[in-house]
Amino acid sequence: MLNFFSWALVKLEVTRTLRNKKFMFFSVIYPSVIYLLISGTRNTTDKVPHTDLTLQAFFMVSMASFGALTAVLMGNSERIAKEREKGWVRQLRLTPLPSRGYVLAKIASAAMVTLPCIVVVFLVAAVVKHVRMETWQWFALIGVIWAGSLVFAALGVAIGYIASGDAVRPITMIIYFALSILGGLWMPSATFPQWLQNISEWLPTHAYASLGQAVEMGGSPHAKDVAILCVYFLLFAGGAAWLYRKDTLKA
Amino acid sequence: MTTAATEATTARAAVVSFDQVSKAYGDVCAVDGLTLDLHPGETVALLGPNGAGKSSTLDLLLGLRTADSGTVRLFGASPQEAIAKGRVGAMLQTGGLMEDVTVEEIVRLVCDLHPRPYPVGDVLARAGIASIADRMVNKLSGGQEQRVRFALATAGANDLIVLDEPTTGMDVTARQAFWATMREQAEQGRTVLFATHYLEEADAIADRVLVLHKGRLLADGTAAEIKAKAGARRISFELEGAVDESSLRGLPFLSTLDISGNRVRIQSHNADATVHAVYALGLYPRELEVAGLGLEQAFVAITEAEEARTAC
Repeated sequence: MLNFFSWALVKLEVTRTLRNKKFMFFSVIYPSVIYLLISGTRNTTDKVPHTDLTLQAFFMVSMASFGALTAVLMGNSERIAKEREKGWVRQLRLTPLPSRGYVLAKIASAAMVTLPCIVVVFLVAAVVKHVRMETWQWFALIGVIWAGSLVFAALGVAIGYIASGDAVRPITMIIYFALSILGGLWMPSATFPQWLQNISEWLPTHAYASLGQAVEMGGSPHAKDVAILCVYFLLFAGGAAWLYRKDTLKA
Repeated sequence: MTTAATEATTARAAVVSFDQVSKAYGDVCAVDGLTLDLHPGETVALLGPNGAGKSSTLDLLLGLRTADSGTVRLFGASPQEAIAKGRVGAMLQTGGLMEDVTVEEIVRLVCDLHPRPYPVGDVLARAGIASIADRMVNKLSGGQEQRVRFALATAGANDLIVLDEPTTGMDVTARQAFWATMREQAEQGRTVLFATHYLEEADAIADRVLVLHKGRLLADGTAAEIKAKAGARRISFELEGAVDESSLRGLPFLSTLDISGNRVRIQSHNADATVHAVYALGLYPRELEVAGLGLEQAFVAITEAEEARTAC
């Protein structure tokens, strides 16, 4: 088991994340606030083009996805870059923990933050914006949005390895906004010009938002979206593990 | 057994084996054709001035960097394989600690990651940090952090312990306690390799000393052998009137000569013969002192001699 995964490291990573009260508070509250801001001024009966979803319902999934994305991407990349600079990663590389064990622990602990932030957006949407769905849909949505966030947690780890020091934040921001906007988390990608839609379709964020929307419309996620996310996950996680081994940054 | 098989056995017996290892950063050659073997149970000090390549050598040894040429083997395997098997414990100057966790939590983590861990309580006690087990790692002093690193390096039964400047930031008592623990480890048959700039530590603890200079191995032997190599004795005296340098240069067994005013300082391989020759020259040295060379002077003499040799 040790050669693949370390529960001890996952447990400790989760413990310390939960101890970081400021980070937890903003990660959990932030997507709900944005959700209220975006959906607050809209008419409650308007439908999003090409769907039969109300704006509130549409943005609920978008913002839960966006919030999960924010927490895992921003949280992971900066903390990892900082850990590399402090030399903790060097120290950890001198233990028998394999590189995939480190990457998996980082992804798993990031997932602990995303769960409350998804649930809080849903609560706000149901209570304040009166979004109604079948019971199975609520649970399925939490499940797919949670699972999908793992892809971006892996991306966060990889960025934490590519960038260092002052460069981490701007690089993360650029990737984060580009992915969020182009993937249609902020506005439905159906409103984009055709050439942009063609690009958007292949972005992990688009596939991620589609998972939730498919469930919201009473269906199951499209195989293509699931496949796209799986490929991105393997790419990001594999890249992160490779970079962990290659890392030669000196403190 | 064929010769090849014998060689293979010897290679497997070596704990650490460097074969013609070189590593350059840009134009700077940090490690230059280094070849050496460490054997089970040895306590080895790695000495060298700043920039001698000590840290680079340890990085290569631990697989944190890869050599440009040559091979590094630990227990007959790659450094990564040896570390994955939990055979190596290491304490680096650049090794940071995880934040937002307590001392006990971080030590427990590394124990959990080790295939042959010691009980967490024992590791804490041995490193002298049992009393600060509940403290947050980011609130420690430099010396306390250093002890936590030491605890991480000794969390399980390693066959090789690598320490880079381990006592930096420790006070005298902590330093003595540290080396007492290290001696225990060595007595259990572990190989200990440490880089230090406290030469008295190397003199007192190591049974083998490696002197590294500009990435090359200048000397390899016991502390006594290193001292002998540098010139065994220091002779110092004053002369009345003008000092005739050329006649002093002709003294037997002379390794270095230093004249400042009337004071003459000599390093000699055979102090008795040299002093005898001083009298034979008809000189009357005053305040004559003959003293053994410390490892520190030996070290300076060896690296300075090398500096002079490579300068021209």
